[in-house]
Amino acid sequence: MTETNMYPPKLEKIINLFESLPETERRETLVSYADNAKKQEPRPGEKFVLEDVRKDEECADTVGVYLQVDDEGKAHFRMTLGPEVQTLTRAMTAILCKGLDGRTPQEVLELPGDFVTRIVGTELVRVRSQTIYYVLTRIKGICKVYLDRQRMAEVA
Amino acid sequence: MATSPTQYAHPEALVDADWLEQHLNDDGLRIIESNEDILLYDTGHIPGAVHIDWRSDLQDQVIRDYIAPDKFAELCSRNGITPETTCVFYGDKANWWACYALWAFRLFGHDKVKILNGGRDKWKAEGRPMTREVPKYPQTNYPVPQKRLDQEIRAFANEALAQSEAGKPLIDVRSPGEFKGEITHMAEYPQEGVLRGGHIPGAKSVPWKTATNEDSTFKPANELAKIYLEGCDLKSGTDTVVYCRIGERSSHTWFVLTYLLGLENVRNYDGSWTEWGNKVGAPIEKSA
Repeated sequence: MTETNMYPPKLEKIINLFESLPETERRETLVSYADNAKKQEPRPGEKFVLEDVRKDEECADTVGVYLQVDDEGKAHFRMTLGPEVQTLTRAMTAILCKGLDGRTPQEVLELPGDFVTRIVGTELVRVRSQTIYYVLTRIKGICKVYLDRQRMAEVA
Repeated sequence: MATSPTQYAHPEALVDADWLEQHLNDDGLRIIESNEDILLYDTGHIPGAVHIDWRSDLQDQVIRDYIAPDKFAELCSRNGITPETTCVFYGDKANWWACYALWAFRLFGHDKVKILNGGRDKWKAEGRPMTREVPKYPQTNYPVPQKRLDQEIRAFANEALAQSEAGKPLIDVRSPGEFKGEITHMAEYPQEGVLRGGHIPGAKSVPWKTATNEDSTFKPANELAKIYLEGCDLKSGTDTVVYCRIGERSSHTWFVLTYLLGLENVRNYDGSWTEWGNKVGAPIEKSA
């Protein structure tokens, strides 16, 4: 990613889509993404370099993040969500798993978070919807752990 | 005491899922979903239910206060509600927000109100009908309420202070950790931190969930009487003030005390801990 192309193309496409939608359709599209969050779960036989499953106080239920890094160093994410996880968090799960697929862990880590409000819209960003940033934080978190381990391995 | 320990004081304030499923299309009934999860209604709701959002619909968007009476009249009118409409509230989190919305409706004098016992979770768990179809009702002309019942069912900080100083009942419905001042926000809501932890001096700790069963329904009357009437020595006619962080969990307890136990003069201090814990000079107790 360069400065003129701040977001990965897949994510940029999603951002542009949401920004073009009137509020009602934006909500419908978020719900549609939330409906698809289950498709981001790990599939049988898939192997991961890192798995991070936990219940944080920022989120209503357990969230699992699974990282796969292919031979070209590109990251692929899978996620599991507990039943109490809120709809916006589900939507962001589907959006980010798709939008960040194929970027390197370093690129994901450097991604600015300001796009989240462009997707969700200001009307839905308010008290008790702060968890919209939660999924991005968790995805960045697993990328950071991966990169730290890589660096430690290089030093050793 | 206005209640017998074997029966709710106002059993008519609750409906069960069987009853509601048989009355989905009744004229004069409006089902209202109110949730914490802002998009939950959009993912599916009880057929015919309208959505009322605790923040965008019921609160003033600039000043920390509820909407003005004319805005309430507009809200009801666009949802096809008249003063004669019976509003059945339900929602997520064991009806936290449903009770909050019900309390707000009462604030404007709308008294035909009920709660779906067990709320959204129980309805869904029982496999009852859900739809994504958003209903449209003919616009009504709800008259602008003459006033808000701020004096009757709502308490402000100065009144909570007077309650504390007079040694009158104050019920803190937050979690034990919040009550003791060990944490300055509710678990899972770190963005709602305050500058000071603890509770209003003299308040008793009865977490809101004490009033509910595992399936989100309310506990039977005799158990509620044991918790609040015996355990907290609450009496009808004595002023009682309930509070939490922003007034939503305490709306649940307000409903229990007012409708299920029949106590009079129960008020909800909706400024709650986000006001008290930040208020310069407000006295705070930290002991258990």
